[in-house]
Amino acid sequence: MRVAVTGASGEFGKLLLPLLERDPNVERIVVLDVAKPAGDKVEFHRVDLTRHDAEGELTDALTEHAVDALYHLAFLFGPIRSGSMAHELEVVGTMNVLTAAGRARLPRLVVPSLTAAYGARGNNPALLREEAPLQGCPHSRFINDKVEVEGQVMAFRERHPDTRTLVLRFAPLLGSDVDNPVARLLSRAVVPTLLGYDPLWQALHAEDAARALHLALRANASGAFNIVGRGVLPLSGLIRQAGARPLPLPGPMFRAALHALDMAGAATLPVALLDYMHYSWVADGERAESALGFVPVHHVRDAAAALRRS
Amino acid sequence: MAKGVLGNDPFQRGAASRQPEATDARKPAEEKKPAAKKAKASGKPPKQAAAAKATKSRQPPAASAKKASAKAREKAAPPVAPEPIADEAMPLREPAAPVTPRTTPPARPPVMADDAAQRTAENRRVDRALTEALAAEVAEAAAAAAVDEALQGREEANQDVDRVLATELAAGMAEAAVREVLDQDSGTSPHRARELAATVAAQVAGAAGGPAVDEVLEQHASRGPLERGADSRAPLSSDEYEGHLEDEDDEDAWGHDAWGLNADADDEEPLPTSEEVAAMEQELELTASVTRDEFPPQRRSSLSLVPPVEGAQAESFSAGEFGTEPERPPPSRAGGMFALAREIAGQALASEGLGRAMGAMQGLVEAVRTGLGASGGTRVDEYGKDAALVENLQPVLDFLYGPYWRVSVQGAEMVPSGAAILVANHSGALPYDGLVMAQAITRERPDLREPRWLVEDQVFHAPVLGTLFNRLGAVRACPENALRLLDEQRPVVVFPEGYQGLSKPFAERYRLKRFGRGGFVKLALRTGAPIVPVAIVGAEETSPLLGRIPASFLGLPYLPLMPGPLPLPAKWSIRFGEPIDLGDLAPESAEDLGEVQRLTERTRESIQGMIQALLRERRSVFAG
Repeated sequence: MRVAVTGASGEFGKLLLPLLERDPNVERIVVLDVAKPAGDKVEFHRVDLTRHDAEGELTDALTEHAVDALYHLAFLFGPIRSGSMAHELEVVGTMNVLTAAGRARLPRLVVPSLTAAYGARGNNPALLREEAPLQGCPHSRFINDKVEVEGQVMAFRERHPDTRTLVLRFAPLLGSDVDNPVARLLSRAVVPTLLGYDPLWQALHAEDAARALHLALRANASGAFNIVGRGVLPLSGLIRQAGARPLPLPGPMFRAALHALDMAGAATLPVALLDYMHYSWVADGERAESALGFVPVHHVRDAAAALRRS
Repeated sequence: MAKGVLGNDPFQRGAASRQPEATDARKPAEEKKPAAKKAKASGKPPKQAAAAKATKSRQPPAASAKKASAKAREKAAPPVAPEPIADEAMPLREPAAPVTPRTTPPARPPVMADDAAQRTAENRRVDRALTEALAAEVAEAAAAAAVDEALQGREEANQDVDRVLATELAAGMAEAAVREVLDQDSGTSPHRARELAATVAAQVAGAAGGPAVDEVLEQHASRGPLERGADSRAPLSSDEYEGHLEDEDDEDAWGHDAWGLNADADDEEPLPTSEEVAAMEQELELTASVTRDEFPPQRRSSLSLVPPVEGAQAESFSAGEFGTEPERPPPSRAGGMFALAREIAGQALASEGLGRAMGAMQGLVEAVRTGLGASGGTRVDEYGKDAALVENLQPVLDFLYGPYWRVSVQGAEMVPSGAAILVANHSGALPYDGLVMAQAITRERPDLREPRWLVEDQVFHAPVLGTLFNRLGAVRACPENALRLLDEQRPVVVFPEGYQGLSKPFAERYRLKRFGRGGFVKLALRTGAPIVPVAIVGAEETSPLLGRIPASFLGLPYLPLMPGPLPLPAKWSIRFGEPIDLGDLAPESAEDLGEVQRLTERTRESIQGMIQALLRERRSVFAG
């Protein structure tokens, strides 16, 4: 089995590659990235997804190696310094990858997404199933790029029914060396929250995330899957489990302070997080369990505790 | 100076008048003693059945005798400062002890018929004695620790004396609290009782340490000037003191010990204690009419009251309810403090016992924190119900459900097992009805799965209230959630009036608003779950909506204007009706708006009819 991976040095790539290395059925890992990761099975092709000619390089690499599955993991989770660059990589990069995948008649495509793409809205049901609309978040480019990518992937899926396309919507990843907005939020000593609100949050232990990605290599299903950890926690509980203290602030004050900081260029928290601190956004992991065979091992508590240990 | 301060102290004045009431209200044990048959006791209503009283009354004296010996043993071991005073307390209780135990054995057989019961009673007495001894030890230790801590950093002349007094004050209070607790729940297992007693003792003693020290020190502070002002007093009181000691053999040992211990202290030192004794004794006798604003004259008069006082003291100790002598402080602020504390403790005990009261308080605090969004709960299910919070709050819910609202449930057997849609009228400015419905179903029908209730967005997303309700089991009303809950074979409580039902003015109470778009009928048709109409009466009067304060700046449609922050104690009646017959309509008829409308209207009429019936049967809003 030959597996191609974009963004192998990113958050998800780092989780997946060791599992692929250990998988005896995987004979080669074709890495399409700007940096070469370590690994015996790795075959490195330097591809810059943000370049306009990336699509041709991708198609060549995919057809040359007769790749069985492509993991498109080139997404940003670290602090984003340049919004347009992130947009370029995620949206335009995905466009390139999808075109190449279509050309190469790829049998399987796996794309990660976020449960945050559902958006934290007042009209969310208690548990969001995969068919719920992706409402995104009006203030967040980070989230809205993911929503856009999902739209592209779904369109691709309709056009290429013979390509098994899996979208894995991950709950916020927490782990010892994970870097994403939620992990950064929880690693503060004091986390501001909205007074009078305590929405339910989910989290996913990095190990579970890696397992889910690996399961997608053989799963006999396609479509979107919510990949969430066991159980839910109210935001305050999650903060406490991560070893921090929640500090409930009155909404208007909090909002004004965040906007002011944002304007001053000293944004310490993404303004978009306010929505996620206001309404619950709990995704239902039932489909991943029944169709993908993914059963989370770690409870949200453990995931948060893993963050504390780091 | 000091006189002025004390005389004007509102706390103290309140304490003086409150004292007798507090004692009145509290102890069943007190009137049981023949010696304690005072005018006071007559004011107390005969709450308990005579038999129960009889059995209970047996225990304290024997136990106290045992306790005395047990305590004496303990006291012998640690040669700490509080020793003499503690020993003094025991003999004082002794005289009364032999009186009742001798009369009790003949009375017991009727109550506990067979030998086994007798034995268990014996066992229980032993247990009780052991428990008390244990508690005393714990209290002593905790009090000593607390007092030491409190005394640290204070440079007063008579550290040792202060420590003794304060420790004894705190420990005595703790022991009294323990005895109250034990008297209240005599039915629990000895292990639990012991545990409980130790906890209570440690907590009360620990908490009382600081105030006790303050008291003792303040006493000193106030006494200094006083004595300078009343020169004649010192010799008089010391004379009185000597006489007092000679009169009362029991007190002898303690008195001398105290002297010996305080030998290094200045001459006035024993005076406070004698004054204390006298003052406290007097306090027992005095009724509410006596004002304590004038400090020195009263003290003087108290000193002359020695003979009558002894009897009172003995009574109080035999009753075993007032606890040891040193916890009766001079008529200063401490009197008020202790009376208040006792009153509160007594009230709490009257319902469930101190442990549960503390648990309830904890639950309420937890609820507030949850509402504010800082609970940090970890046992939350995917709908948001926090099992830990519900457990903590259960004593409060029990209280509201039982003695406060006296919820009466009729026809709970109408609820079919499995999925069911319970359709009820929504009422009251604050939607307690969902919570009470869930409680009612849980209590009346333990065979059903845990019910949930659906709340409209205006409540679900309201700050604090919505968060709290969600943690208690409310689920946002939307078809997805309802379907999921029904799929889990739960009874689901819905209020189709929704927000309209909550915001109707008090004048329109119990008049049903429109039933939305009949979402619950569609649900029933789709899932086949039966519709059970439910009428709730009483919720409207619990939190009547008197007006609406605009509160759009808070992100709320309005703030309800209610008679008070707390729900009123209206009596609740919940009546479950016959499930609505859906005939053999196919799931597709959920799309048939006419059919849905017809069924909606039928449900509405059924509920309105039951409400009218309940209202006709109700004679009084609050008495039921």
